[in-house]
Amino acid sequence: MKRPVNILYGVDDSPPPLVTILSGIQFSGLLSIYLVYPLAVAREAGVPGAMTSDLLSFSLLLMGLAVNLQALRRGPVGCGYLCPAVFTAGYLPAALLAARQGGMPLVAGMTAFAGLIEIALSRLMRHLRALFPPEIAGLVVMLVGITAAENGLRFALGIGASQPIGSPDLLVAGGCLATMAALTVWGKGPLRLFGVLIGMAAGYGTAAVVGRLTPSDIQSVVAAPLARLPTGGHLGWSFDPALMVAFAIPALAASLRAMADITTCQKINDAEWVRPDMRSISGGLLADGLSTVACGLLGSVGLNTHTNSVGLTNATGITSRRVAWAIGGVLALLALSPKVAAVFAIMPRPVMGVPLFFLASFTFVNGLQIVTSRMVDARRILVVGMAFMSGLAVEFFPAYFAGLPARIRAFASGSLVLGTVLAIALNLIFRLGVRRIQKLTLDPAALDPKRAEEFLEEQGATWGARRDVIDRAAFNLAQGLETIAEGCSPRGALEIEASFDEFNLDVRVSYVGAPLELPDVRPTNEEIMASEEGQRRLAGFLLRRHADRVQSWHRDGRSTVLFHFDH
Amino acid sequence: MDLPEERIGDAVVLDARGRIDSTTAKEFGDRMIGLIESGCRHLVVDFKNLVYISSAGFRALLLAARKADETESALVLCGITGKIRQLFEIGGFTDLFRIYPSREDGLSALR
Repeated sequence: MKRPVNILYGVDDSPPPLVTILSGIQFSGLLSIYLVYPLAVAREAGVPGAMTSDLLSFSLLLMGLAVNLQALRRGPVGCGYLCPAVFTAGYLPAALLAARQGGMPLVAGMTAFAGLIEIALSRLMRHLRALFPPEIAGLVVMLVGITAAENGLRFALGIGASQPIGSPDLLVAGGCLATMAALTVWGKGPLRLFGVLIGMAAGYGTAAVVGRLTPSDIQSVVAAPLARLPTGGHLGWSFDPALMVAFAIPALAASLRAMADITTCQKINDAEWVRPDMRSISGGLLADGLSTVACGLLGSVGLNTHTNSVGLTNATGITSRRVAWAIGGVLALLALSPKVAAVFAIMPRPVMGVPLFFLASFTFVNGLQIVTSRMVDARRILVVGMAFMSGLAVEFFPAYFAGLPARIRAFASGSLVLGTVLAIALNLIFRLGVRRIQKLTLDPAALDPKRAEEFLEEQGATWGARRDVIDRAAFNLAQGLETIAEGCSPRGALEIEASFDEFNLDVRVSYVGAPLELPDVRPTNEEIMASEEGQRRLAGFLLRRHADRVQSWHRDGRSTVLFHFDH
Repeated sequence: MDLPEERIGDAVVLDARGRIDSTTAKEFGDRMIGLIESGCRHLVVDFKNLVYISSAGFRALLLAARKADETESALVLCGITGKIRQLFEIGGFTDLFRIYPSREDGLSALR
């Protein structure tokens, strides 16, 4: 493993104590924003104020536990990297549904069930990856964003609330959102980094001014002890088989998200990264699942690895796993202070809803970027398009879906569930006819390199390959065919074979004729200009350097050249 | 191959569109050399609309650059981005030519 130049303290390094502690504080501040999710669920379940404080204290501890489990590098648990986790919008719809139907005990029981699903997936994901191509992972993230935005708006605008929302609430929501947006767009340094937290603070301030924070709210914070062990007054567990699908789908979504985040951790810590380390990913998925089980056991909602935090480790250049211990320590200290939990427990509804809506924008676009990171053909367009719009249909026509038979209704309990189930089903169906190896035969006397490029383009779209890798392969194929036709005296057809899996793209050209010269030293400018021989050697040099690996062999009069590209 | 040209002041801007491969490289090279030999002292070749260049295209550029040196003319390139830029870098051509982001930058440099 080679540390990239932008990383100041790598995963195995020990930064100075002050750097470690300050990083821990920085991350803890960012992670604490996501307490809005367990808070929203607790409100929906009607959990009383004091118990809400205990639930939030446990939630802080759980985020600390999760980042420490991820950082473990020996044994089956943990990806071995600094990979913080937060309460995720993915579990929010199911948790709110459970809260309405059975209170926090049902939320806790079903969350533990979801964690078990994640644990099972951690053992199986290596074999199931083909079922979950990047466009499905991206679609799931987009749907998570939409459901988070929907719930955020519901809280911020008081839709469905027992008390109608008034102008003061809109003022609180507007001030909170404007502050977050302004700091995120125009802020620099710490102001930008903590823009969401500052926006929430602005929301609290506005709420106090317009009377949406009452003296009794303030008193509850003042009266809360500075330090105390949280009690488990809110703990209880129950289970409803009818909600299994509603929680299993977010568990799958969380596993896909964790896979992507852990892969990113691997990439940013190794300049020589070539392909995902599945052992690390399996350990990371197991840690994610164990964390969610712990969330269920301690009465909170599900956790998931946090993409933005992984990005922050790259931006700061500090990826040392010692920071995970610091984050755990800071969050534990915060958990032991009921005052901190009490501040969150009195959060006005608009202040709770606005971050959900705001952060959902980033989640949605992140998913869109994942979907569009790969080439698409009609199959992939239909998988993503139809699944996405069918998922939205649940939100547009809730009465219709509520009237479905119970067994079917379980699969349409929300846009995330229906969209994900449909995407997986459509992908399985449309995979029929897709072959991982495709062939093309060309006549060297009537060579059309554009035809060869189009062949790879079409296959790239069918396979959902990365555009940049297909572009590189297309150049090598076109330049290779050009050079073979002019300099290798091919007799008979040029046989082209392209094969693809998620990690490898191989393009092979086979013909009867002289082998293709592939020098590893660039010919001089004079040699290139002197003759077409020099031009051909330049071509061979470009072909060698442009691929990740090149092999050429000649047997029984037949020559073959293989261009390998890491995907 | 589509090679529209535009005269701007005492410079000529040649727009290299499409593909420069073994079938089009001769036309491309002959055009550049023809312009230089006919008195063009400032030649800007714009690659913004180019989708493919092979070793034949690079050879044509080298020959044109040599002709420009012989006649003390200036040959600059512009609009080289993405996968075309990658090929220039792999082939070691980014150090051999004056390359500018846009034709306006190239024309400004020649004034």
